[in-house]
Amino acid sequence: MIKDITLGQYFPGNSVIHRLDPRIKIVLVFAYIVAIFLCKNFYAMGIMFILLLAVILLSRISPKLILKSVRPIVIIVIITSLLQLIYNRTGEVLWEWWKLKITTGGVNMALFTTLRIILLVVASSMLTYTTSPTMLTDAIERLFCPLKVFKINVHSIAMMMTIALRFIPTLIDEVDKIMSAQKSRGADLESGNIVQRGKALVPIFVPLFINSFRRAYELAFAMECRCYQGGEGRTRLRVMKCAVRDYISLIVVAATVAGIILLNHYFPTVL
Amino acid sequence: MDKKSIVKFDNVSFRYEAAEEGEKLPLAVDGVSLDIKEGEFVAILGHNGSGKSTLAKLSNSILIPESGTVTVDGMDTADEEKSYDIRKTVGVVFQNPDNQIVASIVEEDVAFGPENLGLPRDEIRKRVDDSLKAVGMYEHRLSEPHKLSGGQKQRVAIAGIIAMLPKCIFFDEPTAMLDPQGRKEVMKTVIKLNREYGMAIVFITHFMEEATLASRVVVMDNAKVVMDGTPKEVFRNREALRNIGLDVPSVAYLAEELSKSGVNISPDIIYEEELVERIEKLIGDR
Repeated sequence: MIKDITLGQYFPGNSVIHRLDPRIKIVLVFAYIVAIFLCKNFYAMGIMFILLLAVILLSRISPKLILKSVRPIVIIVIITSLLQLIYNRTGEVLWEWWKLKITTGGVNMALFTTLRIILLVVASSMLTYTTSPTMLTDAIERLFCPLKVFKINVHSIAMMMTIALRFIPTLIDEVDKIMSAQKSRGADLESGNIVQRGKALVPIFVPLFINSFRRAYELAFAMECRCYQGGEGRTRLRVMKCAVRDYISLIVVAATVAGIILLNHYFPTVL
Repeated sequence: MDKKSIVKFDNVSFRYEAAEEGEKLPLAVDGVSLDIKEGEFVAILGHNGSGKSTLAKLSNSILIPESGTVTVDGMDTADEEKSYDIRKTVGVVFQNPDNQIVASIVEEDVAFGPENLGLPRDEIRKRVDDSLKAVGMYEHRLSEPHKLSGGQKQRVAIAGIIAMLPKCIFFDEPTAMLDPQGRKEVMKTVIKLNREYGMAIVFITHFMEEATLASRVVVMDNAKVVMDGTPKEVFRNREALRNIGLDVPSVAYLAEELSKSGVNISPDIIYEEELVERIEKLIGDR
């Protein structure tokens, strides 16, 4: 079940979106998220939607995967929409029963927040879907380079992130193995109340932690054997260079943000 | 044959630190002298705790000997300033491939070593491609390591070491966690590195069949070297091997039993092909 998590997963490909400079991608996704919150009406949101749709089509990521990324937030979306429907009392009343009142304002707001949350999640998953974890951490390392001034070791942090990402599948396999091992010795993991279940997890996490430390030692040896000495004097297989496509994508996003500000100005606000 | 020595252990002793202060653990390596020459293929045999894995870590200054010296291509491993050059010369492949792979994409992992060496990008690219081709994993260069089989992962780990172009590679039981298929893949790669690329190989194992493939076999017991010679010379000492808890290769065992029961076969045979050939000849003679 744990293996079904798609958030933070990478799907290799060779599309324009995949080949964008990861630094630019991070900046653009950040700008996009800010822009989502700038949107004040459906016209502006529509533009954001079209932009994201274009990115999805260009990336050639299957729509199934996009839907999969939305699945975990369905409950959040339903709850927020319900709250908007119930508590928003602006506009004409569409339906009334006892103390419940559903208004056009409520419907609009529910739709608007739903769209906002979905765009947010899909946009950030598009970043991880189309960028390999190593590229992502590389880009973070380079984007945060200026922090070196404050004596923050950006390289070490990025290396830790790379290793953490690399070991997630390994540790998931290990949890599966330990769970089976403990179950075969009669451990009961599925019944009982929350406290009992919590207690049942202890024999799973203790070996997991001990093994992780052992792995960390071995990995450190292996890294030293390969001449790892920290970030100093290291070169990279992948060099990040901005190409024409990166500048075009910057212009497109900038134009979209400008468009949103104009639409916000000329059309009435939903909020 | 007077070949240059690559790794030279000179009367080396080493003990691990005890968890509690004041206590002293027994020596893990006790007065070992061993000379690995350029292009040699040496197998080190021994049962668990015989000190054979410690040798691998002593070979490239991950561990420093308590007494005696380890010299790598003229450099003393105790000299911290040289550790970088020493690790460039001697690579180590460990038992568990999962704990050696750093990156989440095969080619990025193989690039890790050359990146640490500060090589220019074209050179890294070339070394990554060459190493992956050498271990037969080039088609998988964009895969994620956790989706590969054990044997494939270990070959990626080997590629990561050969990308640094070492003169000698220590293999610390690289097949211990693999299935028979994976074991075969790794052995084939190791032999290729020795024969085609001329790299010196030190292969630490407890599988007798793997040791017969080497040109020299060193047997360790109780932190000491107890035998050192060609596979035929070493596997001739059956009783001595059994006494220290090691067995002879099954082919040698079969040859021994056949010879005992009166079949005209030399009990020295340790290679499968040799035995098959001999038996075919015997049948032909009839």
